[in-house]
Order: sequence, then C-alpha cells, then structure tokens
Amino acid sequence: MIAALTRAIDNFLGRGEAAVTVPPLDGALRPNRMLDDAKSRFALEDVDDLAMVGGKLLASAGSDIHAFDPKGRWKLHFVAGSPIACIATIGNDGLALGLASGEILVTGGAFDGKSFHADAQAKCLTAMVESAGSLYVANGSATSTVGDWQRDLMEQNASGSVWRIELESGNSACIADRLAWPAGLAVSEAGITISEAWGHRLLRLASGGQAEILYHDLPGYPGRLSPAADGCWLSMFAPRSQLVEFILREPAYRQRMLEEVPQPFWVSPNLKSGKSFYEPLQGGGVKHLGVLKPWAPAMSAGFCVRLDSGFQPVASLQSRADGATHGVTGVLEADGQVYVAARGDGVVVRLPAQIAGGEA
Amino acid sequence: MNLSDQLTYWRYRLVPDHVLGELLAKRWIDNAIPLLILIVVAAIFGSLIPDFFGPANMTNLARQWGEFGLIVLGLMIVMVAGGIDLSVGSTFALGNIVALALLNVAGLSMPVVVIVTLGVGALVGMANGVLVGFLRLRAFLTTLVTLIIVRAIVDMLLLNYSVRIAAAFPDSDAWYFLGEGFLLGVPFSAALAGAVAIIAHLVLSRSRIGWHVLAIGGSRRSAHNVGIPVRRVICSTYVISGMLAALAGVLFASRLGGAGADTGIGLEIAALTAAVLGGNSLGGGRGSPAKAIIGSITVMMMVNSLLRLGVTSGANSLLLGILLLGAVAIDVRWLKNRHKVLSKVYVSPAFSSLPAAPGTDASSKYAINDRLGPVELIGLGRIDGPEDVILDEDDNIYTGNRTGDIVRFFAPDYSRQEVYAHVGGRPLGLAFDKDGSLLVCIGGMGLYRVTTEREIVKLTDETNRSWLSIIDDSRLRLADDLDVAPDGRIFFSEATVRYEMHEWPVDGLESRGNGRIVCYDPNRGTTRTILRNLKFPNGICMTHDGESFLFAETWGCTISRYWFDGPKKGTVEKVIPDLPGYPDNINRASDGTYWLALVGIRTPSLDLALKMPGFRRRMARRVAPDEWLYPNINTGCVVRFNEEGEILEVLWDRAGENHPMITSMREHKGHLYIGGILNNRIGKLKLEGADENWTGTSSYWSGS
Repeated sequence: MIAALTRAIDNFLGRGEAAVTVPPLDGALRPNRMLDDAKSRFALEDVDDLAMVGGKLLASAGSDIHAFDPKGRWKLHFVAGSPIACIATIGNDGLALGLASGEILVTGGAFDGKSFHADAQAKCLTAMVESAGSLYVANGSATSTVGDWQRDLMEQNASGSVWRIELESGNSACIADRLAWPAGLAVSEAGITISEAWGHRLLRLASGGQAEILYHDLPGYPGRLSPAADGCWLSMFAPRSQLVEFILREPAYRQRMLEEVPQPFWVSPNLKSGKSFYEPLQGGGVKHLGVLKPWAPAMSAGFCVRLDSGFQPVASLQSRADGATHGVTGVLEADGQVYVAARGDGVVVRLPAQIAGGEA
Repeated sequence: MNLSDQLTYWRYRLVPDHVLGELLAKRWIDNAIPLLILIVVAAIFGSLIPDFFGPANMTNLARQWGEFGLIVLGLMIVMVAGGIDLSVGSTFALGNIVALALLNVAGLSMPVVVIVTLGVGALVGMANGVLVGFLRLRAFLTTLVTLIIVRAIVDMLLLNYSVRIAAAFPDSDAWYFLGEGFLLGVPFSAALAGAVAIIAHLVLSRSRIGWHVLAIGGSRRSAHNVGIPVRRVICSTYVISGMLAALAGVLFASRLGGAGADTGIGLEIAALTAAVLGGNSLGGGRGSPAKAIIGSITVMMMVNSLLRLGVTSGANSLLLGILLLGAVAIDVRWLKNRHKVLSKVYVSPAFSSLPAAPGTDASSKYAINDRLGPVELIGLGRIDGPEDVILDEDDNIYTGNRTGDIVRFFAPDYSRQEVYAHVGGRPLGLAFDKDGSLLVCIGGMGLYRVTTEREIVKLTDETNRSWLSIIDDSRLRLADDLDVAPDGRIFFSEATVRYEMHEWPVDGLESRGNGRIVCYDPNRGTTRTILRNLKFPNGICMTHDGESFLFAETWGCTISRYWFDGPKKGTVEKVIPDLPGYPDNINRASDGTYWLALVGIRTPSLDLALKMPGFRRRMARRVAPDEWLYPNINTGCVVRFNEEGEILEVLWDRAGENHPMITSMREHKGHLYIGGILNNRIGKLKLEGADENWTGTSSYWSGS
C-alpha cells in the first residue's frame, strides 16, 4: 500500500523510479572517438557477430558468413540460407550458427553437421558461447524476434532466458529466466556472466544458482561479451537517453507510438539513427552553422567497453553522435588486435589492443 | 479524430491551462494570498458578530484603522528598504502624550501641535536612522533599544503631566476634527491614511527615491555599487516611519484625549504582523502600500472583533503571535517557491492535431530530389544566421545576422561584405519600401526602418493591448516577417506573445497559437493587431491583387490568405492546409507564383505527441531541453506554389550538405538566394527558365 502510494507520488513529481536520469559518461567511459579514428576500416553490409575459427576471423552478416583475409577483404565463407542471429566458436575449429528460426547449426569441428535446439519456444537467439562441451545460449525474449528488439524494449518485456545445451547428448536445460533481453554471455570459473540489456546491468549466475549484480546502471544497452587478454569486451549496441527513459515511463504515448508510428521512426534506441528526416530529432541535435555537434543527444552511438576480470570497466572505445561507427554488436580480440563490428554503419574496424586501452 | 482525442481536444479547449502560469508571472499575484485571508477573516467575523457590516461598526473600525494603518505604512517603508522599526509603538505613545501636553498644558493651537509632534516623531526616527543607516548598527537591536528609551521618556512625561492633561479641556473644533471628523463621509483618520498610502504608492512605484528604497531592500550592496546613497535613504525611511507613528499618536490623542501607561503597548507586534501578513517581505525589496493596507485591515478586524467577542487579552495576543508566525512562514516559502512553481506551470502545451502529412516518395508532389545540390555558396563562414535575404536593384545582398547587424554583400561576386547598419536585436524579415529604404522586423525590438542614408528609425514596438489577455501583450516580443501593401501599410507577424525569441522551441512545444499579425499604418502612425491566436505566424507575402496577403503558420503547417481590403475584407482562407513540414518565409516568384521555405519536416513521433498535451507537459518538466523532441529542422526544402494552393515544384537538399534548414529564399534576376537562421552561408541557385530581368522590387513598386 505504502509502496504503491510512494510510486504514485514519485510518478507525479518525477522523483525516485520516475526520475529520468542516465548516468554520465565519465571515468572509463569518458567520451572519445577512437572507433572513428581507427585507420583500418573494412566495410561489410549488415555485419553482426564475430568469431575466430581455426585462426580465421569470421563475421556473420544477413544469412551469410564472411571470412576476413589478411589483405583486408571479406570473402563469402558459408551460406546459411536463412538469417543468422548469432555465432560462436565450438572447440577450436567448429562454428555454431544460431538462426532466426531458433535452430542452432554447427559446421566444422567435432560436431560438424549437427543441429540443436535450446527449446521449441526459444526463437530469439541473441548470443552463444561454448565452454567445456556445453553451449550456453541466450534467448532474448519469449515473444519478440531478434530483429524486433526495439519493440521488446518498448513493451518493457522481461521474458528472456539462458539455456545450457550438452553438445554430446543434445540435452538442454534452462538455467535462468525472466531476464530483460539477455544479450551477451561469458563463462568463467566463477560462473556465467549475462548482460541484461533492458536492465542495463551485468549479472553473474554462480553454480549455486544465485544471481549477483556485477555492474549496474550502464549508460547504454549492453550486448555481447567476448574474452579479452585479461578480462572481457562488452559491446553496447545503443546508448540510453533521457528521452527514451522518459518515453519508457509514458505508457499511453508508447502504446500509440507502437500502433501509429512506423517502426523506423520510433523514439527508440537504434543501431544507426539520422538516416531519414522522419526520425525524431532532439533539441541538441539541431545543426548549427551546418554542423551536428558531437555531444548531440542521439538514438545511436558506437560503444564498446573493456572490462577487467572483475567485470568493471577500465576503458572504452566510442563513436559519438556525429561519428560513423554506430551500433556495435560484436567485438573480438585476437593476436593483439581488436576487431569491432559496427552493424549500424556496416563496418568492421581494427585497432591494436594496446591502443584500445586494455592497460589504461 | 478518435474518441480519446476528442476528449483531450475538449479538455484542453475548455480549460485554459496557460492562465495559471500567466497569473503567477504577475507581480501583483503576491497580494492574492493576503487578500484571500482578509476575505476569510471578514467572512468569519461578519457571521459571528451581529451587525458587523453595519455603519456604526464600520465607522468605528475605519477610524481605528486610520491610526493603525499609518503606523503599518511607516513600518512597511522601513521594511521595504530592508530594515525593521520596533519603536513605532513607543513613538506612537510619545506622539500621543506630546500632542496632549502641547495642547492642554502649553495651550498651543492645533496646526502647531501637529507640526511639533511630527517633529518629535521625526527626531526619534532620526535617532534610529543615524544609528542604523549611518553607524550601521543592527536595525532590530537598535530599534528595540529606542523602544525602551522612548517608552521610558513617555513614562517620565506621564508622571509629570498626566494630571494637568486630564484637568484641562481644550476648546478647539479643529483639534476634535482630527479624531472625530469626517471627510467626504469617511472618518478623517481613514481618509488621511488612504491619502498617505496613495502618495506612498506613487513614490515607491514612480519616483527615483522610491526606486532607490526598493533597490536597497533588494540588494544593499548592489544598490551601493550603482551609486545609490544607501545610508541617507535608509536614514530617511526611519524618519518617515517615526513621523507617521507620531501622526497616528496625534489622531489617537484627538480621539480619546487621555494619556495612559498602556498606550501603544504591544502595538509594534500588531503592526509587524499586519505588515508581514500583507505580504511585505521581512528581507526587504518586496512590499507595497496595498499590502500594508490589506494586512492592517486584517489585523485590525481580528483584534477588534476578538475583543468584542469577549476573548481575553492574553488569548488575543497569543492568536496574534501565531498569526505572525504563520505569515512569516508563508512569506518565506512563497518567496522561495513561487518561481519554481512558475517554471513548472508556465509551459502549458495545447492539443494540436495536424492533418495527415503528404509523403515525400517518388509519386508525391513533394518528391525528394537533389535540386539544391548545385548551389553556389556566398559568405561561407562569414555570416552567422542569415534568416532572410533580400537584393536591391544593383544586385547587392542584404541580410541580418545573429549579432544584430544588417550585412551587405557586394555584387557581382559577393566576396566583399560590410555592416550596412547595426540595429541590435535579432534582425529577421526584410523588405524594401517604395522609397528604397529597408524595412526590418527585429526579434526582441519591433519594426524598424533603415533609410537609404543608413539612418535607423523605429516604426513601432507596441500594439494595442488585448482586454482579456493576462500577460501584457502590447509590447512586441518577436516580430518575424513583414510585407508592404501598395498603400504603404506594413503587415508583420509576431510569432509568439508568450515567449522571447530564443525560447521559440518552447512555443513549438506548446503549439497553442500564441502568435498574431499586426498592421502598422505609417500614414496614421497607428499599430493594430488584426489576427490573433495563430500558431507561430511566420512568412508574409502580398498577393498580386493588392488587397490580400499570404501568411504561413509554422506550427500549424498551413498557408492562409487574409484580405485586408476589397469585398472579402477581414476574411481568412486556407490556401494549403496540410504541408509535410514547417513553413517559414514566403516570397514572390517571377511568374506570379510564390516561393515558400520549409524550415523542417514533420516527424510522425512529434505529430503524435502534439495530440498528447500531458505527455509534452511532463516532457518539458522532466527532460532537459536539449533532449526534447523537436520538430525536425535539420532538413528543409523550398516549395513553389500558386494562389490556388497547388504545389508546382520542390527543391530539396537531400543530404543536408549546405542547407539543412531553410528559413527564406528570394528570387532575383533568374537566381534563387537561400538563407537559414542557424546556417553560416547563403546559397545561390540558377533557376532554369526564370525571367532574367525580374526583381522583387520591380514586382512591388514599378507598377505605380
């Protein structure tokens, strides 16, 4: 009763839960334009996830897997025939493909040609990671598809789940559910770490089953996790903004927006915004003297964060409102190089790992 | 419109939300709470006491109020200057006994008695004033000490003279008139207090010394820094307070004719309660005679009525004390929170449902293209914000900039520029008058003329005030664009009357229709508002019939036509009801049609928000302005249309490379010149097939 009353008062006055605040970019997340300044840029339309298989860098884009050759070109490597939602390395030379249908295919390696399902209902595969003969799979939502993540956010769903599949037997088990769009997984001795996108936080599931919050209130929506030399890379596919936080607290507007406004023009985070003049514009985004300010509030940005072994941020690579490396969906560190896949701009950029700030 | 939209429409149609904010923005709103308390008090005692509003009681109350009111007025003046005078009660008693002694013992005449008593009061005030003003002692302690000393003097005088005062019976009608007479049916003391209040009001609100007093109360240090003689002014406020208290003592002496030990005891607390209850700030700088009068009537009524109801005097004082505490608390909270509340409630969005926006795909008449691509750039990086551009017969370009200059670019290559005139403000719309002088609408200033000799002449900066408007809408805040009728009348738009120039996004958020169109008639020197409640009226352009003009409403996304002469005089007709974007300036094209600048394109998300005023209001309160949903003014275009409202051609800058937002365009000798209020360049575009000799000036003025 008192809690409900407090909530009503907060809602009226815009305090507490109803306050629309986004943490400032500070400390390890201080704004920079390192993603845009990267010299090595390799365009690949709709690039999504990265994986290293048998010493080869592979990237998923649409329904295809492309391989990166040392000369800096992409070559078609594998055709899946239906849209690929995420990929993961199996062992050393196998590749698992999570398809939009919910099916998981393996090519190469010990399980070549095998097919798995996490669950008949799990059709929104957002991330996979293999560890010690088990494949961990994140299912973003029980109701939305992978491409419909904006709707899932706007509906404020928390129906995602994480599954473990034994590769030998094909048995699968749900190890966590009721998550708000789990979008990234990392396995370590301490347990399995999940990035919960709509909760803006990193959770660790210990073997006992309790969840522990490792980091909360991130300034963006956390996506996939991938191992780094000593720690982890976190890609944040879209920035949070005050306006979106406000809209998430306005059910009436949100509902009518979902019904009446075409999806590309929603007030919603995006992998790449500003493509059409029908998209919403915010005050700070008005061009002055022909220039869009880098600090302008935007629905998209480029963002990936280097986490230490305790999953605390130590450095970040960014592309700001006026940048061209937006919507980072995958990061991969290999041989002293960091590859960042920016799906919003359809480009993979490469930076030396020491510049990327692993030691910062 | 669906049902919920209908409900919202009527809700925002019937409840004028913006009125609350406008009321709170008024300075006189400070008096609202004290006045309410006065009415409540009057109602309570009026119902408790029989015949409360009868003439006998009213006369009695008014007479006593006259004396009390004078004291409160004096205290108010001291408080406005940031001080406090606790010695008013003692001075009142001193005035009483001095007047009686002078009259009864010394046997002086009435005028002499009054003047000498006032002098004594002034002396007490002077003592306070010198100590507080010049020696800068604490006002509270100093006047507390004066209170005790003066009270001691009164007691000593009482000891010596009370018997002789009581023994004598002066025989002077003039003397008794002070305490018992009527002036125009009003008890003399009340009439006197009223007159003093009016004088005090005029002095405080209209005179130099009054402003000095208010300035010192507002900030003593700043007043000193701007050269106000702070010490002298403070000293004189105490002198006035002492004189008014003594004057009240004289009236009291005349009314009752007796001196007692309890005269004026506790009067300072009653006076202080009255002053603060009326809304005079204890901190200084905020106060008026009106507040003093409201407060003193309230307190007078309470004290008297409680006595009549038989409440014991102890309880009476207790009540007064509680009232003072309450008044001080309200004073502090009100002062602290008024502008906070104001900032929260002033912005009050209205319901606005725009018709469906036409598309911009290939099949649409607004189909997107890149026709502004080959534009030639003028003054890139050398001009800040050319809102409107205009060319003279020698092809020179004139434009306003952000820093209040009218800049001229010289033909033929426009590489040289000069400041043609520095007008200040934000020069917006431009037009050439018949005599070749440049007419300019200046945001924040009004309508001006720059003659061919570069003399700057103010044409008008105010119009007639509307009777039902709460905010004063006589002053022009945001004169935007103008055009000249054949007979020389100038019609110009004022985008909004509720906001300043730089607050235009807030007006867009409201989308109420706060703008108007005003006509300046140079032949008669009059300025009159002709159309009201327009949604950010912007561009104005004369049609070719000489009796009507076209105007654009930016937030309404419409073009309308208004007839100021001829058979259709006074009527408005929509020409284009549904633009896909926000229209800005309109100008003539060489073939008899019109150019229109669209400053931005409507977005579906904002169109939806316009139908949800509550959503926009909460957004304005909770989200930082830089994060607000804005009209998308990062992409604009130029449209050519005719008087029937048909769209003839559209010019886009698809990438927004040079002209992300377009606020004006002007055709001149086969070229189109393009400006943008947030841009740093002027574009020049060759128009295929346009008349190479056509100029705007000739189109307007060559026929006559």
